[in-house]
Amino acid sequence: MDLSPFEADNSVSCRLASLIPDACKTEDCCLGIDEAGRGPVLGPMVYGICFCPLSKKEELKGLKVADSKTLTEAQRENLFQKLEEAKSYVGWAVHILSPNTISTCMLQRTKYNLNALSHDTAIGLVQYALDNGVQLKEVFVDTVGPADKYEAKLSQLFPGIEVTVRPKADSLFPIVSAASICAKVARDRVVKGWNFAEDLGEVDADYGSGYPNDPKTKAWLLKYLDPVFGYPQFVRFSWSTAQTLMDSKAVTVHWDDDEEDGEKAAQRKNNRSMLSYFSAPAGGNDQTQTHQTHRFFTERRLKSLNTL
Amino acid sequence: MAEKKKRTPNVQNDSWVVIAADSVIDTQKHDSDPAFVRLRNPSTDAASLYMLGSGDVQLYEVKAFEEDFHSWFVGQTVQRDGRLLFVTPMDPLYLILPYLIKSGKEGKFQPVDQVMMDEEFPACSRLLSCTRSLASMHHIAEEKEVGSLKFHRYSQEKTMDWLKKKVERTVTALKKRNISVGEGVKSSTYVRVKSESDANEEDYLRYAHGLISEYISEDLSKALLKHLQLPELTSPKETEPPTKKRKLSDNPVEAGEDYTKFNSADFARKPPKKMTAAQKSLAKVDKTGMKPMSSFFSPKVKAEKK
Repeated sequence: MDLSPFEADNSVSCRLASLIPDACKTEDCCLGIDEAGRGPVLGPMVYGICFCPLSKKEELKGLKVADSKTLTEAQRENLFQKLEEAKSYVGWAVHILSPNTISTCMLQRTKYNLNALSHDTAIGLVQYALDNGVQLKEVFVDTVGPADKYEAKLSQLFPGIEVTVRPKADSLFPIVSAASICAKVARDRVVKGWNFAEDLGEVDADYGSGYPNDPKTKAWLLKYLDPVFGYPQFVRFSWSTAQTLMDSKAVTVHWDDDEEDGEKAAQRKNNRSMLSYFSAPAGGNDQTQTHQTHRFFTERRLKSLNTL
Repeated sequence: MAEKKKRTPNVQNDSWVVIAADSVIDTQKHDSDPAFVRLRNPSTDAASLYMLGSGDVQLYEVKAFEEDFHSWFVGQTVQRDGRLLFVTPMDPLYLILPYLIKSGKEGKFQPVDQVMMDEEFPACSRLLSCTRSLASMHHIAEEKEVGSLKFHRYSQEKTMDWLKKKVERTVTALKKRNISVGEGVKSSTYVRVKSESDANEEDYLRYAHGLISEYISEDLSKALLKHLQLPELTSPKETEPPTKKRKLSDNPVEAGEDYTKFNSADFARKPPKKMTAAQKSLAKVDKTGMKPMSSFFSPKVKAEKK
């Protein structure tokens, strides 16, 4: 697996793929989808697909691919090697969602949640396979969110393909297990050799599993918290673990879409109470009225100062 | 989830982000550095910040662009306030004018250095060092020369002509810059697809008058409006329909809006209902220190975590 396209710029998402086996373009195929790195606060989330002709399902089983979680890293690498060796009939593709992509999607003005992001990535990968001539007939997916809804969504998007969404699909269908191995291997390699875009000097690479409950990960997060910038792009800012630490240890940053308490915000913005529009104007000519700045200045947010 | 963030007021800075006229930084010719000074704002009568260029030869006004949620990255530091200061040339006559008007009430010709005195803003005398000040004094005052001494007396007539010229020049500038002056336009960031053809000369005059009024007293502003032969605008409050009042007459109310039953003699407010015994006893309960029911439905205010 050549990671260099992602490592060239790990702030954005990247797709890596094997060559499409010729057999997949002529025979009916099945495709498995799985993800790796959904929970960690560190590193990318990787979506993987694996596909092979329906006729080769048994041979895939022979490779003894199993749920990536039950395997050690070495076993996974080994199995990935075997998949690469079976390239005459097995194809794969992974989509690496950089932590920066996850942060910016989830924290942007119009929130784009992790489920939606997951779904869209999975859909993108299926489309990629279709666009490259893979004769898809069956798709197996490990579920994200409610299985039946997800299944309906995918079936509607890909008419003519039999979509099966199942929890624990990675231990039920070998093709999904194979996909999960691709995804997991990609994630492991990316996390291990993460290129920090930030100038952090010698980075302590001992960040543990990257999961929020790992003490090593927590210690690392504390160590690399910058009061102004927060974290390097390796960290998912949208994770509450990261947010809580930044809220307590870093400088407070205000954004204009921060939610504020209704009345307080109104007061700060000098909003008039709705009621004031219904009351009669305060008696006669108002001499106490303070100087009103001309709209040329107010429209441009310009004001006079009396001190620096 | 994230804590509610509490805003702390901007603390005093020792640095600013400034856009200044080239002439401000031209300190070659004079010995003193440009300096910020507090002077009396002719429009508000309160202190405002100005800048005197090196050698006090040029006056600048200081305006700040200020909007919520802005900060600066300056080199390797963060500047908390996102303010952008503008230091732009200004005619010192605007600041001299109020002093001259004040002394003009005595009706005497006076030397200007006696006029430009202000206990609150002692720096005001420095305005006379500006190259434009003495040279353009004749725009707002009558001059008399006795020997080598010059005396001045405020002239309303001259001032009005001078201000009128200012307004006309502002109109030219407004047109050149395509600034929307029409009444309907509320936002300068609003992009018009078709050019503003509905803005007439009066709109421009009125807008320019409003801009110039930022630099003169309210009285002068009103006088200038008259001088420009612009009718005073009725305030929007007056154009609103008056709040409805029920007529207190015995005549039957004209149909149109049927509120007749409220006006009829036999319409009387019902006395408030009597409370039941249970309600009465509840009303007597000591409620000091208790939150009103409504408080449980408004969002909670959390204190900032230290």
